[in-house]
Amino acid sequence: MPDVLVVDRLVKRYGQVEAVKGISFSIAPGEVFALIGPNGAGKTTTLRTVATILHPTSGSVTMAGIDALARPAAVRELISYLPEEAGAYKHMTGESYLRFFAEVFFADPELAQAALVTGRRIAGLGDRLADKLGSYSKGMTRKLVLARALMTRPRLAILDEPTSGLDVLNAIEVRDQVRKFASEGMSVLLSSHNMLEVEYVSDRVGLISRGELRAVGTPAEIKERFGAANLEQAFVAVAR
Amino acid sequence: MRRFGVLLRKELRELMTVQMLLPLMVTIVMFGLIGNLVGGQTTEGGGATAHVVDADGSAASERIVGSLADAGFIVVTSPGTDPAVAAAADDGPGTGIYIGIPAGFGAGLASGQAQKLTTYTVMRNFSFFAARDAAALNAALDAANRSASLSMISAATTSTDPAGLRDPISLSENVIIGNRSAPVTIAAVTNFITGQTTFIPIVLFIVIMFAASMIASTVASEKENKTLETLLAAPIGRAPMVLAKMAAASLVALVSSAAYLFGMQYYMGKLGAATGGGAAVAGGAGAAMDQLGLTLGAGEWALLFASLFLGILVALAIAVILGAFAENVRAAQALLTPLTIAVMIPYFLTIFVDLDTTTPLVRAIVLAIPFTHPFRAAPALFLRDYGTVWLGIGYQALWFAAAVFVATKVFASDRILTLRLGRRKSAAKERP
Repeated sequence: MPDVLVVDRLVKRYGQVEAVKGISFSIAPGEVFALIGPNGAGKTTTLRTVATILHPTSGSVTMAGIDALARPAAVRELISYLPEEAGAYKHMTGESYLRFFAEVFFADPELAQAALVTGRRIAGLGDRLADKLGSYSKGMTRKLVLARALMTRPRLAILDEPTSGLDVLNAIEVRDQVRKFASEGMSVLLSSHNMLEVEYVSDRVGLISRGELRAVGTPAEIKERFGAANLEQAFVAVAR
Repeated sequence: MRRFGVLLRKELRELMTVQMLLPLMVTIVMFGLIGNLVGGQTTEGGGATAHVVDADGSAASERIVGSLADAGFIVVTSPGTDPAVAAAADDGPGTGIYIGIPAGFGAGLASGQAQKLTTYTVMRNFSFFAARDAAALNAALDAANRSASLSMISAATTSTDPAGLRDPISLSENVIIGNRSAPVTIAAVTNFITGQTTFIPIVLFIVIMFAASMIASTVASEKENKTLETLLAAPIGRAPMVLAKMAAASLVALVSSAAYLFGMQYYMGKLGAATGGGAAVAGGAGAAMDQLGLTLGAGEWALLFASLFLGILVALAIAVILGAFAENVRAAQALLTPLTIAVMIPYFLTIFVDLDTTTPLVRAIVLAIPFTHPFRAAPALFLRDYGTVWLGIGYQALWFAAAVFVATKVFASDRILTLRLGRRKSAAKERP
């Protein structure tokens, strides 16, 4: 099957600063691809560019055969993006937040309802979904926005630090959800600082540093290449 | 279109909060309460008391008392002969009015000699009511003076027309507007137009600032609350995104302005009745105003509404752009300063200056401001100057289209996430 996402020689400059320096990678259907690297390496810029909210300086992003630069609106129909510090509308309840995005994505009320049911299940917030988001803890908000990102079953979910702010139990639950959705065909591009998480959830890993993709492979391949016992040691080798 | 509807509902829910509705309700209730208070004071103050210190006790002094009573005063005859002493002893409440009629007043008039009345007004406040009572006193004494004058002329001559002798020249005022003429005073016309259009610049100013503040805050709060990135990655076109925010803000602004207008009209109506102001003048001269064509038909009201609404939309579109540059809600409010100035200039000019009499340069600058045109629309429509109104509408439509285009481009570009006014150096470093 053709790759869901193809990033080719992607470059992104902010003024004089080159944040991303010609990186290339691809993601197959049902594959979980993790970008790991130190702060300022270019992970979030890459994720934002794939999510069509930043324009690349050069290079291309192709999503399911669609040029993201030429047809960003078409690409947005196929993706879902979870920013690292995603907030939610405080005046809304959890339920109305999920409903809003379900209705944005689906014209068919039945599909929107199905997405809403999925969202409720992933969020796992029970009766608290009826409460205003202003009363949610950081962890509850994170679970809700993650549910929003997954409930539409996008071709590609772009998750920036998906378990940020979650406790261990909730983080494990989220990883299981990501794996489950991937097994059903959803591709995932994620970034994380949690190497244990990356090793558990990812099929392949891209090590990025100073805007360059230094290594791509399965966690086992990466560890072997850097002679590391775990991904954390490989990460340190690249970061230095 | 469906997504626009979903977004519009979301934006409306965001704007129609208790924090927004509560001050609005309080304001309307306050207008009502103040209006009723003013109305109550009118009823109570309808018969203000005039103290007459009559040292004469003649038929002439009785006529003075009669004039005061005719003017609606409750006349109280005070003892003594010195009104200053009586006024000094006044312990209120309210305005104290004292009229001193000196001994020999009636006899002096009868012998054809001019006489002097002395008044003392004890002022305890500077409200409309104090001014109203003073004006009523002057009118009553003018009437008494006129009556005395006519009596003296009658006594001194054999003329059958003493009024003609007193006022040999009478004035018949006419006003011409366009090709229409009516026998009416310029003051009556001015009062009528003011009564019809006073609220328009006030309400327009309030609505523009209110709506602009709302929309800039919603854009900035999307950034501050970290919801913007999610929204931008959702399958929603940039134009619907901008237009939904504008539609919601303009709807809320219109509802709010209607509420404010209702409250202000209620209050001003009560105040007008209390002070005997323009409403009565305008009402009495209604036929002349019709004759002059100073009444707006449905078409003219529609044009006026179009001009006002376009003014609001232009402000909203500019506020979206300004809000997009702000990092948070507080910064968004600060960034609205240029817009506030652009609205205030034509607002004050409309009130204080005739733009047509300014220098060509000033006129060109002021006319270049899009918000000048809704302020000019109402007077132009009363003068049936449709060209000015249509040109203003066209000019505002161009501004609106340009501002929406720019706003859409800003939302479609990296700038919505990366641009911070005054922070260009650090923005680039922060992004990766």
